[in-house]
Amino acid sequence: MKKYMMLLIGLTFLFPASVMAEDFLGAPVIPGGQVLLKTHSRLELSVPKGHDEVLEYYKDALKNFKDIRIRDWKQGTHIEDDGSLPWHSITIVKGGTNETKITIVKDSWTWILGTLVLRFVGVFIVLLLLFLALTAAGAIISKSVARAEAKQSAAKT
Amino acid sequence: MTFDEILDLLNGIMRTTGVFNFDPKVIVMWAIASMFIYLAIAKKFEPLLLLPIGFGIFIVNFPLVPMMGFEHGRPQLLQFFYHYGLEWEIIPCVIFLGLGAMTDFGPLIANPKTLLIGAGAQLGVFITFTGTVLAGFTLKEAASVGIIGGADGPTTVYLTTLLAPQLLGANALAAYSYMAMVPLIQPPIMRMMTSKKERKIRMRQLRPVSKKEKMLFPLVTAGIIALLVPSVTPLMGMFMFGNLMKESGVVGRLSESAQGSLMNIVTIFLGVSVGATMYADKFLSWKPLFIFGLGLIDFAVCTVGGILTVKIMNRFLKEKINPLIGSAGVSAVPMAARVSELEGLKADKSNHLLMHAMGPNLAGVIGSAAAAGMFIAMFH
Repeated sequence: MKKYMMLLIGLTFLFPASVMAEDFLGAPVIPGGQVLLKTHSRLELSVPKGHDEVLEYYKDALKNFKDIRIRDWKQGTHIEDDGSLPWHSITIVKGGTNETKITIVKDSWTWILGTLVLRFVGVFIVLLLLFLALTAAGAIISKSVARAEAKQSAAKT
Repeated sequence: MTFDEILDLLNGIMRTTGVFNFDPKVIVMWAIASMFIYLAIAKKFEPLLLLPIGFGIFIVNFPLVPMMGFEHGRPQLLQFFYHYGLEWEIIPCVIFLGLGAMTDFGPLIANPKTLLIGAGAQLGVFITFTGTVLAGFTLKEAASVGIIGGADGPTTVYLTTLLAPQLLGANALAAYSYMAMVPLIQPPIMRMMTSKKERKIRMRQLRPVSKKEKMLFPLVTAGIIALLVPSVTPLMGMFMFGNLMKESGVVGRLSESAQGSLMNIVTIFLGVSVGATMYADKFLSWKPLFIFGLGLIDFAVCTVGGILTVKIMNRFLKEKINPLIGSAGVSAVPMAARVSELEGLKADKSNHLLMHAMGPNLAGVIGSAAAAGMFIAMFH
């Protein structure tokens, strides 16, 4: 019995994919994948399937999730949760026909605060550009008006 | 006809009345509606919006009223206004068209530095977002609650309809209520954040702005916003189109209609349909109360953000800006600018800040729209 138990534990370490749970932080994990990296906040795995097949699986698995957004990027498909689920995103890398890499990331405050700071800075940039445009337009128009007035007064004298 | 049959008939008639279907929860909603109607009529707090909103709340909170539902698949009266006006995002944009036709951007064009104050005053929007997420709201809901601090009613309605329509009533009510309460909320913060010496800073009279500059402004602004934050172009595009109509001077009739009758019509539809989203079953929960509480903090932080921005700018500027105009960066046009003027006069009876404060005030409108655009881009 003890021998079988040891064998089972040994197999567990040899083939992590075989003991992988069906979800990671509540995000569905496609079956048959090989785990490349697993930490408390990130799961990377590779599946012997094409990108479109994996995407179809996730579209189906997430169809009942409320605040899911799917973004089609050049490098891959990014599935994001805008609700309050424990996971933040699932990225399905494009490129491979028989091998696709999937990354599931935990929801983190770093992302939320990072995106907020960037967007606040973004508001400044928008208004700063407007400021520069107005200053330039103001300078050009003021000069042209002054020039026209000078011409008029010269014509009068 | 027997006595029992008469009783049955009466019973049948009774069942079609509201009395028979009465739910005590609606009494709370009547009280809320009455409070807003009172504030609008007796205290003149944003009456153009709080009165229709108050009536909208009142009228939908009666059992069986065919106002906000569907009948045989057809929308009922207020549902019709709500669907085509708000869900289709038409009303906020038309209101911005009217606002653009009413607005003189001269003070902002004369002193474009004040645009940065309008950006700084969006601080509360982003801080409130974090607080709302911590309280368990979704990211989309948090964005819609955060924008309340921008003190821009149409932008709040626009963003909330897009991201979290279930919070529309509470968000719009909080935004318009706090906009009306600018003279109560801002002065203590302004005094706390500034020294007597700072409040007495005199600013140079604004330069005159030529007609050409005023005509160019809406085109430049619309172009920059469309390039950088395209998601908010429906709002800002209409705002700038309204302003171009005004400044061009060649379409007086259109400009008059946009700022007059058209604006009045959509304001009625906006008010009643926002109010009508607040029926007891949905509204009576902890969320609206929380939104009201957080909205106040949001507003206060935005005021602080505007004043802080001026203080930071003053470190680099030769000609100092009176930090009292920083609070006007929260938009709430022109009430916030008037508050700056009044606080300035308290410190120095001959120091008029109104025109200077109009710059950040108008920049606040653009800033809150840009912040809304950032959120829309985040989720769409």
